[in-house]
Amino acid sequence: MNDAGTGVAIRLVGVGKQFPGSAQPAVGELTLDIPAGSLVALVGPSGCGKTTTLKMINRLVEPTSGAIEIGGVDARTVPAPELRRGIGYVIQQIGLFPHRTIEANIGTVPRLLGWDKARVRERAHELVDIVGLDPELLRRYPTELSGGQQQRVGVARALAADPPVLLMDEPYSAVDPIVRMRLQDELLALQRRLHKTIVLVTHDIDEAIKLGDRVAILNIGGVLEQYGSPEELLRAPANQFVADFLGRERGLKRLALLTTDDIELIDGPVVAADASPDDAKVLMTQFAVDWIGVRDGDVLRGWVSATDLDGVTRVGDAATERFHAAVAPGTPLRETLDRLVLSATRVAVVVDEENRYRGMITIEQISEGVT
Amino acid sequence: MSSRTTQVLANGPDSFVWWDWVDRNRDVIWERTLDHLRLTAASVAIGFVIALALAALSLRFRRLYAPITWVTGVLYTIPSLALFGLLIPITGLGFRSALIALVSYTLLILVRNIVEGVDGVPDSVKEAADGMGFTRWRRFVLVDLALATPTIVAGLRVASVTVVGLVTVTALIGEGGLGVLILDGLRRLFPTPIVVGTALSVLLALALDLVFLAVERALTPWTRRKATL
Repeated sequence: MNDAGTGVAIRLVGVGKQFPGSAQPAVGELTLDIPAGSLVALVGPSGCGKTTTLKMINRLVEPTSGAIEIGGVDARTVPAPELRRGIGYVIQQIGLFPHRTIEANIGTVPRLLGWDKARVRERAHELVDIVGLDPELLRRYPTELSGGQQQRVGVARALAADPPVLLMDEPYSAVDPIVRMRLQDELLALQRRLHKTIVLVTHDIDEAIKLGDRVAILNIGGVLEQYGSPEELLRAPANQFVADFLGRERGLKRLALLTTDDIELIDGPVVAADASPDDAKVLMTQFAVDWIGVRDGDVLRGWVSATDLDGVTRVGDAATERFHAAVAPGTPLRETLDRLVLSATRVAVVVDEENRYRGMITIEQISEGVT
Repeated sequence: MSSRTTQVLANGPDSFVWWDWVDRNRDVIWERTLDHLRLTAASVAIGFVIALALAALSLRFRRLYAPITWVTGVLYTIPSLALFGLLIPITGLGFRSALIALVSYTLLILVRNIVEGVDGVPDSVKEAADGMGFTRWRRFVLVDLALATPTIVAGLRVASVTVVGLVTVTALIGEGGLGVLILDGLRRLFPTPIVVGTALSVLLALALDLVFLAVERALTPWTRRKATL
């Protein structure tokens, strides 16, 4: 992918929308900086103006005040159809053209831009590959595809002319949870390759936390309550509204974002295989546990319970058990915690790809890391 | 054999169909059939163009839809004879009056089917088209009208079948296609031209209906694809 298609910054400066005949503005005065190449999730309750805000970026809704700059250009200075051809647009109901084949659907914007047939065709083939669809589907009509396949075509169609900006309006609300999760993962993988500037509207805070590099929490009337990384929001909600909106399990949600790399590991009750049972017992007393970890050099062999140490001369002579909660560096803390609480030793051990022991995590480390 | 069957199978001036007459007047019958087709095609074609314009206006300015429906509705309900009476002082006897009357009968059906067809296009499809940068005109033709094709063709089928029937009445003002044969038979109390004119008119209507059906199938391959899952 060439640099031409990577994201540009979007700036909303005091943007407002007053619909005729309504008492309150849908969006009052919103200022938001969307950095180039980032995925920003707009999230909030119904009536918070998140969709209106999104549609003001491609001028499907014309702002009544303020200005929007896309890549440093005032959106109002470009004719609307021309502006929109440079902005990918994905909506919840997908809106594929039922009378056109998948190939023609994907080729819509390139054709509007006047690309020649061969190039449009080639691009359609490229895109089914990018979004993970069978090229066989290109000749089909939208009704012949499943919901998940249609949503992928919707994304492919939005990306067809390689626009720097992608707007997504509740793209995954209409698909079932399993497909949704897969599509979200695919979007993240896609974004890691393409680095578009993506603005995504959702009412699902978990989706916003999962997908967003930054999350903007909007209140009724387009009031920006907080704007920051998901981790910042969960760690320090700006006010009660944000805290309520983030919902219960805020701690667990943060654990899903933090990894073992974000907290301090301890060495833990571990001795070398040739250590004596007495040395082991000192450590066990110190850590207040009834088991001891055994290592051969850098490699963690497993653990031995206190009762099995009776009658052996070296700790390594006793039979060891494997640590249930052995995780790789960079594992999300939520997953680490899950395995930790199910383990007999109540600890997780971090072991790298070369099977070297990096350290140990107890529930105390996790709590400290979060607070 | 019953007397009725005898009459049908008989071959003379008083029988149901006198085949000798048909044979002798082959050229005239063919000419009348072509006239009939020409008048029908011209009426439906002109009616369709006007209806497209009226429908486009109705869709763009919603407030116009009710008055347009009202006017075309009134036109539709005027008895054809009365309409000829109104037109003759203005456009005289002949093709022009016939055409105006016939076109006016197509408008209600065509305008309504075009507007309803376009209204039936899902909003999400229209929004997606706008969002991708279609201009208003381009969307109207390539998305709205294209997707309304089944409803529009349904309107054309009803309109053309109606017009084929009405063309016969225009014989009264000097046009009429196959209607001329029917009128001739009625004047002379001679059944053969009446039967021939009526039968061909019905066949023409059926044929046109089939043609439109074929056109619709060719234009809308997507409507016959079913979900394969």
